[in-house]
Amino acid sequence: MIENARSLNIAASVILLAGMLYILGPLYLTLATASQSYEFLLRNGLAWYPGDQFFNNAARIFTETRIPIQMLNSLAVAFSLAIATCILSFLSAYAIVYFRIRWAGVAFALILATIMLPVDIRVITTYQVASNVFSPVNALLDVTGLNGLIAKAFGAPVQLELSVLNTHFGLIAPLVAHGTGTFLFRQFFLTLPKDLFKAARMDGAGPVRFMFDILLPLSRTSFAALFVLTFLSGWTQYLWPLVASSTPDMQTAVVGLARLLPDSDGEVPDFPMIMAGAVIVSLVPLLMIALLQRYLVQGLVLSEK
Amino acid sequence: MTSESTLFSNRWLPVLLVAPFMLLIILFFYVPIFQAFYWSFFLEQPFGGGSMFVGLDNFARVLSDREFWQAGGRTLVFMVTASSLAVLIPLILAVAADRKIRLSLPARNVLVWPKGVAGASIGVVFAFVFNPFVGILAPLNKAFPGIWAPGIDGTDAFITLIAAHVWSGIPFNFVILLAGLQSIPRTMQQAAAMDGAGPWRRIFDVQLPLIMPQLFLTLVLEFTESVTSAFALIDTITHGGPGGATTLLVYKIYKDGFSGYDLSGAATQTAILMVFVILLTAAQFVFLGRRINYER
Repeated sequence: MIENARSLNIAASVILLAGMLYILGPLYLTLATASQSYEFLLRNGLAWYPGDQFFNNAARIFTETRIPIQMLNSLAVAFSLAIATCILSFLSAYAIVYFRIRWAGVAFALILATIMLPVDIRVITTYQVASNVFSPVNALLDVTGLNGLIAKAFGAPVQLELSVLNTHFGLIAPLVAHGTGTFLFRQFFLTLPKDLFKAARMDGAGPVRFMFDILLPLSRTSFAALFVLTFLSGWTQYLWPLVASSTPDMQTAVVGLARLLPDSDGEVPDFPMIMAGAVIVSLVPLLMIALLQRYLVQGLVLSEK
Repeated sequence: MTSESTLFSNRWLPVLLVAPFMLLIILFFYVPIFQAFYWSFFLEQPFGGGSMFVGLDNFARVLSDREFWQAGGRTLVFMVTASSLAVLIPLILAVAADRKIRLSLPARNVLVWPKGVAGASIGVVFAFVFNPFVGILAPLNKAFPGIWAPGIDGTDAFITLIAAHVWSGIPFNFVILLAGLQSIPRTMQQAAAMDGAGPWRRIFDVQLPLIMPQLFLTLVLEFTESVTSAFALIDTITHGGPGGATTLLVYKIYKDGFSGYDLSGAATQTAILMVFVILLTAAQFVFLGRRINYER
């Protein structure tokens, strides 16, 4: 189709330019300031051009703050979150789509509902549950009166206690309880031809064999997309890691970075060092986006359908 | 998928497959939600000091608290302004990037980057970039003292929050809307062009109506997102200030629960916020969702 749409193309170019400036501007200023000294900041304010102090500032992040250890925490949290989400979502979607079970619809609805209320909203009570993961069991024993019987028979009621706060498991588990992955795999399974299933059965494949030899290899792209998506979301979480970790060595890098900002508006904070921290903390996820962008975009589009 | 041969008929294997995930979801999703509603009827003592049934007292206390209504009102203002901007700006960018121009490829790449920058990280960056003394607007402040003072002026602090929120919301909304635009068949555009619709007119009469499902979806998700994701930004940029001007409900709940040890109050507000989010989502589906034509 040949058509003269010059005015529109020019307008579109200007818009895209402005959009990229909006995204890149703050990132550039971060990088430029991270490479200047504190004295430079006090004298000139925000740096418009890069200097030569970046490695100096970065070295101070590595020696004076807990961010190196916190980066390892972030890596552990994001990686295990992504792996756990991939495996559990795959298994549950497999059960929901490929088995004749009456409760499939209910299970799927229960899983899907988790998308509506993210952990940031239910943080107060999620914290309470994490402080004793057996509290529901205790409550159940109390309510059913079983504990009364046990108390009569053994002298004391059952009160189990196990806190997962300030552990890696506690940091990850509430974030795994999210339905996007199951949704994504279910959508993918439904697009696969039914003949595939019939052929596999005719060849004598049972449920386990079908899952490992046919479904798993076919789902490679979905796995990659979901992995990238959840890894990024794990790395960028803030509120839950903030409350679930009580020692600096257990916090994630993003939380540690935010702690570098002073709480009060007193003197000008050491922004060059903090910005160097922001660069270091964002490096891993940005690198991931640069390398695996195809999967990220795919994941975003798939999680919507 | 009901015919005999397209499904496995094992009985216990699917239970085994779903059980681990379901256990996690029940423990860390349904139990906390139940507990929030349960606690809103009890007076909870912090540090496990026991609880007492108080009926609707917690609700009466929260609903008669002026700060609650102020935080709620601010949440509403933030939700409407921030999320409409967070959909509108990616929409304009997506329409522009959908055209075959030289910039559209680099733009598609760059506009996804914020997905890798945590809300708290960009909060730290924006706290610096918009710092009144050393930030980007500091020269303006030198010329006109006091024109930009997010530490004193609540509106300025609010604007910073919205700018940061829109920044981090661009990737998702942009990708979804662009995917919607690209799935419009070219023949539709061509037919409209044959009928004499110019490129500008086609944006409003062909493209926008056809991506209504995507627009609707981004708006629904963005509403929930803006209620919750604001926390990281508030905690890094404004700390709820100045004078509580940016204390949205999520931040107030966090403060009441974790600094004020008012567990019942925090749980009650959580329950109210949850009901609000659920009603909002439902209302959007009922009122907006029905009017959208998903057929192509």
